[in-house]
Amino acid sequence: MADLTIQGLTKRFGGVTAVEGVDLHVADGEFVTLLGPSGCGKSTTLAAVAGLDRADGGRIQVGDRVYFDAAKGIYLPPEARNCGLVFQSYALWPHMTVADNVAFPLTLRKVPAAERRRRIEEVLALVEMERYAARYPHELSGGQQQRVALARTLVYRPAILLLDEPLSNLDAKLRDRARAWLAELRTRLGLTTIYVTHDQIEALSLSDRIVVMNGGHIAQIGAPQQIYEQPADPFVADFIGTTNFLPARVVGAAPAGGRAVLELADGQRLETVAGRAAAAGERVTLAYRPEQMRVATPGAGAGEGPGEGPGEGSVLATRITSRSYVGGQWQVGLDLAGAAIRLEARTPPAGDTLDLWLPHAGGILFRGGADVAA
Amino acid sequence: MSLALDRPDAPPAQPAIPRAIPIQYGTAILVLVLVAAPLLPVLLQSVLDGALYEPEYNLTLANFARLARTEGFGTVLLNTVLLAALTTLVAQVVGTLAAILFGRTDLPLARAMSEFFLWPLYLSALVLSFGWYAVYGPSGYVTLLWQSLFGDAPWTLYSLWGMAVIAGVSQAPLAYIYCLSSATITDPSLEEAARVSGAGTARTLWRVTLPLMKPAIAYSAVLNFTVGLELLSIPLIFGDPAGIPVLTTFLFNNGVSSPRPDHGLVATAAALMLVVVCFLVWLQGRMLGNTRRFITLGGKASRPRPFRLGGLRWPLFALAALYILATVIAPIGTLVLRAFTAFLSPMIPIGEVLTTGNFTQIFEYPVYSRAVWNSFVVSLVGGALATALIALIAIVVHRSEFRFRGALQYLALFPRAVPGVVAGIGFFYAFALLPGLGFLRNSIWILVIAFTMRFIPAGLGAVAPMLLQVSPDLDRAARVQGADWWRTSRSILLPLMRPALVGCFTILFISFFKEYSTAIFLFAPGSEVIGTALLQLWVQGEVGLVAALATIQVAVIAVCIAAVRGIFGVKLHG
Repeated sequence: MADLTIQGLTKRFGGVTAVEGVDLHVADGEFVTLLGPSGCGKSTTLAAVAGLDRADGGRIQVGDRVYFDAAKGIYLPPEARNCGLVFQSYALWPHMTVADNVAFPLTLRKVPAAERRRRIEEVLALVEMERYAARYPHELSGGQQQRVALARTLVYRPAILLLDEPLSNLDAKLRDRARAWLAELRTRLGLTTIYVTHDQIEALSLSDRIVVMNGGHIAQIGAPQQIYEQPADPFVADFIGTTNFLPARVVGAAPAGGRAVLELADGQRLETVAGRAAAAGERVTLAYRPEQMRVATPGAGAGEGPGEGPGEGSVLATRITSRSYVGGQWQVGLDLAGAAIRLEARTPPAGDTLDLWLPHAGGILFRGGADVAA
Repeated sequence: MSLALDRPDAPPAQPAIPRAIPIQYGTAILVLVLVAAPLLPVLLQSVLDGALYEPEYNLTLANFARLARTEGFGTVLLNTVLLAALTTLVAQVVGTLAAILFGRTDLPLARAMSEFFLWPLYLSALVLSFGWYAVYGPSGYVTLLWQSLFGDAPWTLYSLWGMAVIAGVSQAPLAYIYCLSSATITDPSLEEAARVSGAGTARTLWRVTLPLMKPAIAYSAVLNFTVGLELLSIPLIFGDPAGIPVLTTFLFNNGVSSPRPDHGLVATAAALMLVVVCFLVWLQGRMLGNTRRFITLGGKASRPRPFRLGGLRWPLFALAALYILATVIAPIGTLVLRAFTAFLSPMIPIGEVLTTGNFTQIFEYPVYSRAVWNSFVVSLVGGALATALIALIAIVVHRSEFRFRGALQYLALFPRAVPGVVAGIGFFYAFALLPGLGFLRNSIWILVIAFTMRFIPAGLGAVAPMLLQVSPDLDRAARVQGADWWRTSRSILLPLMRPALVGCFTILFISFFKEYSTAIFLFAPGSEVIGTALLQLWVQGEVGLVAALATIQVAVIAVCIAAVRGIFGVKLHG
């Protein structure tokens, strides 16, 4: 068991910089998720820790062992690092049985036969695969293969566990079950773990902390709740959960925590609690989660929230662009001053227009335009 | 939780010097030596005024001028180009027609006929030449039959066209395979679209199917032209007696048969040939966009809907069957029949001349039985050694961090550009030149070394595609778990490559078993192989023994192919 320190990690592929200046510390026993879209650098970072790719700059240390130090020219090959890596493809060796697969790392470590047998049994029992020891990988389901892959990694007690999208090859139902199982296993083992995924639900439900990556940089590091509720920028807001973005201009300035008045492109105005100081004339983007927005109750005043959601809000006129039944509720597409908005509603709205209620508190104000809103 | 996870295992101990370094550099240096060994002496000799092994010599370009002035060398070049061009023409026309007919129509028995059509690919052109001689030669079975019925036969094999037909027929399978694989990977809906828009079968074939095959036809044409330039057996058997010299026979006659070989002239002509073939191979690479010269494993099962031939179905079937009978079955069948008879003529009933005397004679003469034995040893042991080397090259090139792996791949594929004749001359010089290698010179191991060098690209062609299909995650997983590169290669990659290695070994076994063009420059009394013995027997006019020896070769290759297909299910071509 050990902690992991990454400092100034940089990796280029030809002229393309995949990861640049990534700094991260993962405490002993902590479970940290690298989250981001494909090409954000999360898998590159993981490969650099495992030693599969040699980084171009920076430093990686696990416990008191330096894996990589560009300045000092230190680079440990993967076989000398003692990392555990579970691949997205599981990478079980097809010509070996489950037991042989699990035995391989122990054979490499010259573990005596008796102890080897004991530990194989133990680890297969841990992942509930003891009955399949004599099977070949192609005789197993995806979920079973994934458990064997994990067992093969746990059996040699790696210094640090690296998981590369281990659930993404499973179908939706199985993925839910495997996630719950993984969460339980994680609490039992308490291994220092880096988990790479593009799935926000996996990230939110499993992690101690989440590292959101974008374009080779770290966009935000924080606990799941913090990332969800206080995204650092529009990218994070958009990537974690569905988010609606409203481009606007500040007409009524406010200090941090004060109430700002914004004007949309079509002249409609709304109020919001400003998370930070907003200067008059500044271009901003206001972000709302779908669950924060409601259909305005007819006749209700602008200051009064509809239904169960108390609090003050603004009512805005929108045009309906689409409506589709998604099971249990309706998803309504709205056009609000040129911005596309997605709203969830219990009943399908009638007509071409809809009055939208937005709470004053809860929206997040970002400076500048938001490209991700498109 | 009984698993003591709070105490991590130590990573496996790593050797002080990584094993990968000596193995990877060793492989690269071995390949470099193999490839450079025959080339450097040829290139060097071509610019020396004396023989390479003499103590003193000067650099000169006089050899080139002398070669240009050599009487008849212009004719040699002209014949060479003409023969290669005519061969290509025959091969492309026949191969393309066969690809459409056997691959794309509802011709009866198309599968079986396509099997027969491919036979010449497995056999050496040498054996095929003997077969053609036995059927269509001056005293051939069909020739005599024709003479007894209609008078003089209107054909002769002892002409440029005669040779081009034999060579074209034996190379048509190459054009066939490329056209067929291009036909199976094109979208069948393109043809269906043409038919839906009202085009008939003939028009669809002419306007859609054939144009789609154009790249394959063009590529295989360059390939066949190259093979046509390198041809030795057919010009040697039919061209030489008729006074039609080509470059390969020029090299053979001046380098091997000649009592006082003119080394400068031979090396210069060989260097010239090397340059031309290098250019053609480069052209092939440009056309294909990759580096495949040898067709090996691969191919797809899906096949577009066949064209309906309608009323032409049976006439075309008869035509195709006649072609197979005349060009494949008759030559090989007659050769086999000749092996079991004392004399073969339509005038004498076969029952009276049946004998196993030819085979008894082969096994009674130590020279010939030794040739058969040597062929087996060279093919089995040499093939196994070469397969091991090729597996190592493939792993280093495709699955290592070796710094020069790109250069190694280029180097390993370079023998494609070295004609067998040039390789033979080159290794001959190399072994004459290097002190301490004399003991190899008169043994079969010089053949093993030369054959290995020549067929590295063919073997790689069988191994590399399969290796590329093995997910890199499988070796990465082993590395992360603590196996170094060499351990990963042995425990993970090699076992997974087993089917490809079986295919590679089979291809090498067959190639080594039928090889003659390199061997005739290198063999010595005691190290004959079937190919060289065949040529010697032919020169002595021992037609019965030639037929018997050729039959042995055909039988061994046939058994080998059947065994590999049956037991391992390995396909040897697309």
